Amino acid sequence: MKRTRSFNEVLLAVENISLSFGGVKALSDISFDIAKGEIRAIIGPNGAGKSSMLNCINGFYHPQQGAITYKGVRRSQMRPHEAAEQGIARTFQNIALFRGMSTLDNIMTGRNLRMKTGLFWQALHVGPAAREEIEHRRAVEKIIDFLEIQHIRKVPVGQLPYGLQKRVELGRALAAQPELLLLDEPMAGMNIEEKQDMCRFVLDVNDEFGTTICLIEHDMGVVMDISDRVVVLDYGKKIGDGAPDEIKGNQAVIDAYLGVSH
Amino acid sequence: MLGPFLETLIGGLLTGVLYSLVALGFVLIFKASGVFNFAQGAMVLFAALTLARLTGEIDGREVHLANFVIAAAILGTALAFVGWYAWREYMARGGGPAERNRMAVLAVVGAVIGGAVAWFYGKGSWPLWVALPATAAIMGVLAYAIERLVLRHLVNQEGIILFMATLGIAYFLDGFGQTLWGSDIYKIDLGLPKAPIFLFEDVFPGGLLVEPGDLVAALIAGLLVVVLAIFFQKTRIGRALRAVADDHAAAQSVGIPLNTIWLIVWTVSGFVALAAGVIWGAKLGVQFSISLIALKALPVLILGGFTSVPGAIVGGLIIGAGEKLSEVFLAPILVRQFDLAGGGIENWFAYMLALIFLLFRPQGLFGERIIERV
Repeated sequence: MKRTRSFNEVLLAVENISLSFGGVKALSDISFDIAKGEIRAIIGPNGAGKSSMLNCINGFYHPQQGAITYKGVRRSQMRPHEAAEQGIARTFQNIALFRGMSTLDNIMTGRNLRMKTGLFWQALHVGPAAREEIEHRRAVEKIIDFLEIQHIRKVPVGQLPYGLQKRVELGRALAAQPELLLLDEPMAGMNIEEKQDMCRFVLDVNDEFGTTICLIEHDMGVVMDISDRVVVLDYGKKIGDGAPDEIKGNQAVIDAYLGVSH
Repeated sequence: MLGPFLETLIGGLLTGVLYSLVALGFVLIFKASGVFNFAQGAMVLFAALTLARLTGEIDGREVHLANFVIAAAILGTALAFVGWYAWREYMARGGGPAERNRMAVLAVVGAVIGGAVAWFYGKGSWPLWVALPATAAIMGVLAYAIERLVLRHLVNQEGIILFMATLGIAYFLDGFGQTLWGSDIYKIDLGLPKAPIFLFEDVFPGGLLVEPGDLVAALIAGLLVVVLAIFFQKTRIGRALRAVADDHAAAQSVGIPLNTIWLIVWTVSGFVALAAGVIWGAKLGVQFSISLIALKALPVLILGGFTSVPGAIVGGLIIGAGEKLSEVFLAPILVRQFDLAGGGIENWFAYMLALIFLLFRPQGLFGERIIERV
């Protein structure tokens, strides 16, 4: 499958981001943008700063320099729950699910921000709160159908196999109806079949809901197939940015992956 | 034989209710932040002390005016805040905008009301209906201070570090309570009938003796459990609490503000501490040994499971009943058969039971199974 699509509107722009932990520079002077509606991949060897980049975008890390413009608003930092409020959802490299809770409850937490009834009604669990709960349950059931995980609805996620946990995590992120979905290695540790399923879900989310997706992935076949544009990081620096075909022919990228001495 | 047995059992169960109430506070915080809050016992003491001093059973000793002024201001502000929140909620429903400065206005109004109350009842003795909400408000402020000054700076830290922090809070609260209210033994008077009730006088000779205060305690505990269970299992906030307990980062990523959740949990467990403090104080008087009941809550938690609200209740009841029964019925057997001095069983029974549980069922009766991927 090869897709050539064009996008005009910039949803998120990263400008000259630098991040360091003590003396270690995780990111230096990174700039790129994510267009509304595209699938944007971030690739690079281990330790290149890919996850750090995602963590900056959703507010877990605060870069020392640079700014992020999201939906036209420029900011130097924000807190994770504020990012979530503004429509940024994510999954994690090492699955971060609520292990003691069922699949259903996990995905319901994703609806958390969409629930409006106040503390008072919540505490009583009657009236508007109960009605709202039903409404959100309906939305969650749709996601469960979409991801084909009906059979594990009530199972505590700690007991699920790895591939399914990844799927539940995607479901939780989708439940927030995000505008920008950050996926940190959604296919790591999966077998071929699970990878194909996950690819299909990512593409469907992008097509059907129009969600912009930014993903980190190591499987080059997957990246080249599904993404519209790719940004390549190595040792915290950007070494390539462009359509999959351009990246494939980029000498710096090839060197980084094959380990040519710098 | 059956009569005395039942009487001991009931007495034990009612003491167990008190253990349960303290354990409940632990469970709440553990569920929501994975922290064993060593300060729970100190919070019980602090709540009881505050209430005792505000209701002021004063035999000649003066209570310092500053205390009343502060308590009144806090009560007033809390009232204002609740009013502001209700108003905002109401406006949000009607689609009207919520403005921040309304909060300030209402806070001032509330503080004035609070001040008036303090002045009016400024003779060093407040009626219970003023003192109880005031104490609740103070526990809320305390929760806010703990969150703001301690926990906020320890987000994503190891559990042991948070535990050490609560250890510090515990000792601070013990001392701070003394600084504010003095270190004498106080009494809380709930105005309950003192005369014991005799049940089933037809069935057993002399009937079964029950204290009315204990019955009230049992009622309150039961009510708390039902409310908290619904709150945790069924509501959005409950789900958010459980989410935070499982994974800080993931919870933040779905938009759960960690700080707010911690504030809610500490406030609620502060209220539970207040309930425990009131009942305990009414039964035994308010003294510093109350903060040691935290240690009695430990075996209760091991029995019931650290994460289970019903577990805290059942665990408390089993230990309460178990230690009384063993003291009354096991001790004489030891004396008769082995020629021992007997006695003292009450002191170690709970811990021995907990030890046995740790060996055979470490997750407790109701706790979540511990499944670990190796």
